[in-house]
Amino acid sequence: MPVIPARLTHSGGLPSAEMLQERLLRGETLLADTADHTIQVVDVLESYGIVLDAYSRNLIYQAEQQFLNPFPVFRFLDGDLSPARLWRHLIHDRINFEYAEYCQKAMLWHGTGGLDAYLDSPDFRSKCQSIIASKSRRDPLLAGLHRIFPDFLPELIRSAATTHALGQFWRVMSDLFLNLAQAEHDGRVVTIHDVVAFIRDGLVAAAANPITYSVVIGRERLWVLPPEAGLTFLVDVAVPYVEAVFLRGTPFLGTVSFNAQAGQISADQSRFTYGALYADPLPTMGAGVPPSLLMQDMFRHLPERLHVLYRQRIRGEGDVRVKICCSFQKAMFCVTNAAINGTFPHPLDSREPAEQAANRAYAAAWAARLAVARTDCLDAEPFGSKV
Amino acid sequence: MPMLSPLLLIPLVGALALALWPRPTPPGQLRLVAIATLILQLAWSLLLLWRFDASAPGLQLVESIPWVAPIGLVYRLGVDGLSLPLVLINGALTLVSAICTRDISQRPRLYFALLLVISSAVNGAFLADNLLLFFLFYELELIPLWLLISVWGGAQRAYAATKFLIFTAVSGMLILGAFLGLSLLTGSVDFSVHPVLEGQLAMGSQLLLLGALLVGFGIKIPLVPFHTWLPDAHTQASTPVSVLLAGVLLKLGTYGLLRFCLGLFPQAWTLVAPWLAIWAAVSVLYGSLAAIAQRDMKRMVAYSSVGHMGYILLAAAAATPVSLLGAVFQMVSHGLISALLFLLVGIVYRHTGTRDLEVLRGLLNPERGLPLTGSLMIVGVMASAGLPGMAGFISEFLVFRGSLAAFPLATLLSMVGSGLTAVYFLLLVNRAFFGRLAILPASDPVLDSRLDIRLTVVKPRETLPAIALAAGVVGLGLLPSALGRLSEGASTVLANATAALGGLG
Repeated sequence: MPVIPARLTHSGGLPSAEMLQERLLRGETLLADTADHTIQVVDVLESYGIVLDAYSRNLIYQAEQQFLNPFPVFRFLDGDLSPARLWRHLIHDRINFEYAEYCQKAMLWHGTGGLDAYLDSPDFRSKCQSIIASKSRRDPLLAGLHRIFPDFLPELIRSAATTHALGQFWRVMSDLFLNLAQAEHDGRVVTIHDVVAFIRDGLVAAAANPITYSVVIGRERLWVLPPEAGLTFLVDVAVPYVEAVFLRGTPFLGTVSFNAQAGQISADQSRFTYGALYADPLPTMGAGVPPSLLMQDMFRHLPERLHVLYRQRIRGEGDVRVKICCSFQKAMFCVTNAAINGTFPHPLDSREPAEQAANRAYAAAWAARLAVARTDCLDAEPFGSKV
Repeated sequence: MPMLSPLLLIPLVGALALALWPRPTPPGQLRLVAIATLILQLAWSLLLLWRFDASAPGLQLVESIPWVAPIGLVYRLGVDGLSLPLVLINGALTLVSAICTRDISQRPRLYFALLLVISSAVNGAFLADNLLLFFLFYELELIPLWLLISVWGGAQRAYAATKFLIFTAVSGMLILGAFLGLSLLTGSVDFSVHPVLEGQLAMGSQLLLLGALLVGFGIKIPLVPFHTWLPDAHTQASTPVSVLLAGVLLKLGTYGLLRFCLGLFPQAWTLVAPWLAIWAAVSVLYGSLAAIAQRDMKRMVAYSSVGHMGYILLAAAAATPVSLLGAVFQMVSHGLISALLFLLVGIVYRHTGTRDLEVLRGLLNPERGLPLTGSLMIVGVMASAGLPGMAGFISEFLVFRGSLAAFPLATLLSMVGSGLTAVYFLLLVNRAFFGRLAILPASDPVLDSRLDIRLTVVKPRETLPAIALAAGVVGLGLLPSALGRLSEGASTVLANATAALGGLG
């Protein structure tokens, strides 16, 4: 469990698991439905959508164009090696693609769901051998490396597969969030309830999208994640992503030093609570802390309406990354809310006792995990919004 | 042209101008008048520095007017390497105090006038070359300071101000008693400052008078066990007054110790010096240990003053040229460092509403905390702990180096006190500035909902004086030779006189 639990760093009331469960079963939004929340969530998701677009393009570029490159020095340049791009990179006038890598590594490390199951399958292993054999014929250095460390290249391919899958996932989410912003500008989305419904519908619509990945070696196209593996957007990538990044996270970066030997980190990886929904939005902002990288990126593309709102509040732009993080956490609760709503085993208005019980059990499982998250940001006067 | 009297007159005229300034006047305008006056005073002090001949020992630029000659009261001013740094510190820190005084709601006219009167009186005390004249100026700052604490202080200001008044009044009486006793016992109405030898006064009488002066100045410094007024006064005084109190007014005690205790009674001083060294070590250790036990940041800084003033007594007891030079350095560096620390504690208090170390957490947070204040606090505590490159290091090094041969045990114990400074200030920094930003309420944090504090941003103008002081602390640490050249002559003369007349060396 975290060294500083949410109950000690919260700013308001923490709803109990029962309250959360009831809200989910009644189809209510977890986040308080206020106009202020709508602006924060929609605008922060708009900037997130722009950032995800860049992350997605880069992850897909890395997986396809930097495939099995043992020294991918220029992987963040998307193949553009012009002096102007290099200069902008060096002076840090760029998106922090490192954050996308952190998320990819979190997914790879936690390894849940259908994607990970496929990556452990004999089919994937045999595909790896074919790819390595094909690549080794053209690259003697790689062949030698594979001979000395036979597990290294399969692991790189496994990593590349996760990278590509995450890139595909974020492609969908980027479009979804930008569409949401457009819908709000058009007046089709007004409340938080509308926001959650819009995201839920988007997720459901994309649920069955196939997740595939192939690389070209020489003139030959080789599948890493073939269509016949049957991997789909929602179950095999979105759910593992939520599990790895929203819920479990990684305990290694942030303000608090975790001492594994003192038992401060659970030995059971599935009980980790270091993800986005549990994160303290107030880190010391030391260099390289992943949430701060994402906040920097979102700040680059912050819609003016939200920027003005932040400037009017205490400390103005001085703590803008914390403010963005608070809004982002609200938005992530909306996304989680939408995912839960979209994946209930049965319709919420079902009269069947067995279906109701199944829904109740499903909601209870989620509520138990969310009850120890930073649900204080769900209130109508949450941390960082009124002042 | 007289160079010293303007240092008394400029702030006095400023105070008078404030009193007569047309009414009604917004407080900001009164503050500007005070600041302008103090800038002029500081500029004149710098002019004095320029005119001062560091190579010439003894008093310079002497001005003398027989005032009430029959009773020995002569308006005689002079400056040497001992008093000039303190005059400069007075000018700088009074200006800092005035700059830091913002949003004064009640009686701003009186407040700034009192500030100027204090500055004038302190200048007079440092420059006086007549015992009675010194006493007059010494007493002149008492009532204004009492008013500054009792009118503009905290909730317990009446208690603290009264305690301050009683202690300092006793201090004044003892000093006056000693000066008058000296006149009575020597049968002379000459109150000029020169050493009193055994031929003029029996050793028993010398010891008696020296004892009275030691207690008198010991209260003002303050030394254990006469220190109890200081933490209360600091805790209740507003930040600018604390800056003045720690940075300037305590130095009246240490200056008196060197100028009058050591200067007047070198033979008696030689006799009591070993005991004074032990007293110094006790004061250093007590102050440091008491500071460790504090949970109020301001009281911690106040107790650190008690400890650090002990170094000056140790240096004075040793009375070597190096130790006395160290004493002057310690007076200046303590003035800068304690003023810096009190300023920063004031900023913390203004923005968080508390100084409780059990409550404050993570103020160094760059986004929502007080990062610049925290950084300057770290500079301040490093300097106070005597880290090389800072003013505190050179002062303590000179004091210890100059005193070690004379009083090895007391010096070593004082060095332990120096180590303890690092202990309590690291506790302060660790508790209040590191970790996750929070104000931990004493009651249930979940019910209180106070953990996610919303601190207002510290404006640059709030930290500008602290930045200037921090620059001074580092500047003095890196380039100590300027002050060394200024004071070396005076400290050597004093040490040599003590050695020659007191039989030391």
